[in-house]
Amino acid sequence: MNPSIIGQMAVSGALMGLVYALIAYGFQLTYATSKSINFGQGELVMISAFFSLTLTNLGLPYWAMVPGGLLFGAVMGLVVERAGVRLALEQKSEGWILLTIIIGLFFFSTAENIWGRDDRPFPTPISADPIHIFGVDVTRLELAVAVGVLGIMGLIELFKRRTLLGKAFEAVSADRDAAELMGISATRTVMLSYGLSGAVAALAGILVSPITTVGPTMASAIILKAFSVAVVAGLDSGFGVVLIGMFLGALESLSSFYLGSGWREAPGLILLILALAVRPTGVFGKAVIRKV
Amino acid sequence: MLQVEDLYAGYGASEVLTGTTLSVKKGTLVALIGANGAGKTTTMRAISGGLKPSKGKVVLDGKEVQGLDASRIARLGLAHSPEGRKVFGPLSVEDNLLLGAYSRLPRFFGFHAKAQADLDRVYDLFPKLKERHKQAAGTLSGGEQQMLAIGRALMARPKVMLLDEPSMGLAPVIVQEVFRTIRRLKEEGITLLLVEQFAKSALEVADYAYVMERGRIAVEGTPAELSRNERVIAAYLG
Ligand SMILES: Nc1ncnc2c1ncn2[C@@H]1O[C@H](COP(=O)(O)OP(=O)(O)OP(=O)(O)O)[C@@H](O)[C@H]1O
Ligand SMILES: [Mg+2]
Repeated sequence: MNPSIIGQMAVSGALMGLVYALIAYGFQLTYATSKSINFGQGELVMISAFFSLTLTNLGLPYWAMVPGGLLFGAVMGLVVERAGVRLALEQKSEGWILLTIIIGLFFFSTAENIWGRDDRPFPTPISADPIHIFGVDVTRLELAVAVGVLGIMGLIELFKRRTLLGKAFEAVSADRDAAELMGISATRTVMLSYGLSGAVAALAGILVSPITTVGPTMASAIILKAFSVAVVAGLDSGFGVVLIGMFLGALESLSSFYLGSGWREAPGLILLILALAVRPTGVFGKAVIRKV
Repeated sequence: MLQVEDLYAGYGASEVLTGTTLSVKKGTLVALIGANGAGKTTTMRAISGGLKPSKGKVVLDGKEVQGLDASRIARLGLAHSPEGRKVFGPLSVEDNLLLGAYSRLPRFFGFHAKAQADLDRVYDLFPKLKERHKQAAGTLSGGEQQMLAIGRALMARPKVMLLDEPSMGLAPVIVQEVFRTIRRLKEEGITLLLVEQFAKSALEVADYAYVMERGRIAVEGTPAELSRNERVIAAYLG
């Protein structure tokens, strides 16, 4: 084995893993405020990528396409919340699980009807030429993934800690009823979390598309791994999803290199099974401590 | 300032409140006492919107608020410090206080400066909270959490404040401190509805009191009147 190849594989895998981390982070956002997640998030990633591709094809420059794509993702997140989650939560039912899956299927067939079934390249001004850092080659595209993922997560964390609206978001996550007594609308806060989650998913699509191409099924494998990362890291640790995402990405890149690409999905599944067996609250999840 | 008229509310099929009527005049402290399970907490939740009343009226400063969302009622000037305190455990003491003033503050920037005067007032009332302003609220002692819950309600500059069992689960010395605080709030002219297990202490600070039994007001009057009422003496002051 050549150590520099191992390093190379691990680094580019880890950078891809940040995409899983970002989608998993989106799950955490909505889970925090409403104890619900969008099971059709993969389709949201995909449809936002298609929309962004269309913006690009219409001649929008990259810097204008990205906010457009994020806005689209946010709006789709709000659609999911309104159509699939709110009523179910108001009735204290688990209906949101099925409803979000169905909305995902609806996004899927909409995308097929509008854009067709073929995978398409996603043009980007960021070059795929490798640059040499610390003994490994990384492409600017891969670096853009890292910058984009860590950048938006950092911004959202800053928002939660530094603004009053962000603190209200945390308050609803901690105790919804008590937050309402402060004049904070829990419904609006849940909407906010779905909007952010949608924007984050759209960014994941925009960042990963130049590497994977855009197609109706582009996110089906990615989303499974994002679920694994969310479950393994726990649904409350943003730091945890980054670490686990990078770890899983590196692991699958190495195993597909050494064992063959058919084994690519294996590490994620094994990790998921182990995590569920050993620590159902996640490696970084806190057990909830309540003082009575 | 607050009127509750013929209020019905409950959980699912079981009606707990069956025609509760009470009122709190501006600048007065009204006590609501009664046995465990009488419906005192349910009354407070039906007033502040955590529970939707099935019948009856809640009038806050001349405006009917029954059926509105809790957050809306809070923005209209009602602060409810709930049973069990319910501070935001993972957030700092200061963040808890700032959130108390949520409806009056800008959402993004400058909220801290705008709340400074109110923060100083609460810190002046509870120096312990100032000492621990950066600490996570969940790590405070029970007494400190109660002070925080009261401080948080004060931050709203409410028209009416509901205090549900502020002495619950606290050591006797701390209970005395809680009652001293309540007295101070009263001196500052805050309109208060207080639910308390310690009926005797509650009657000492109150201007008027209601005794609740099985979802209704059974007896009402000034503390002096209630202290002469044999039924009340036997059940709550003995
Ligand atoms: N969440 C709930 N679901 C169902 N029933 C409830 C709920 N909360 C309270 N109850 C019932 O409503 C009745 C009144 O309860 P409530 O909490 O209002 O009493 P309380 O006067 O505040 O008593 P305590 O002094 O013990 O706090 C009780 O019989 C209780 O069992
Ligand atoms: Mg009670």
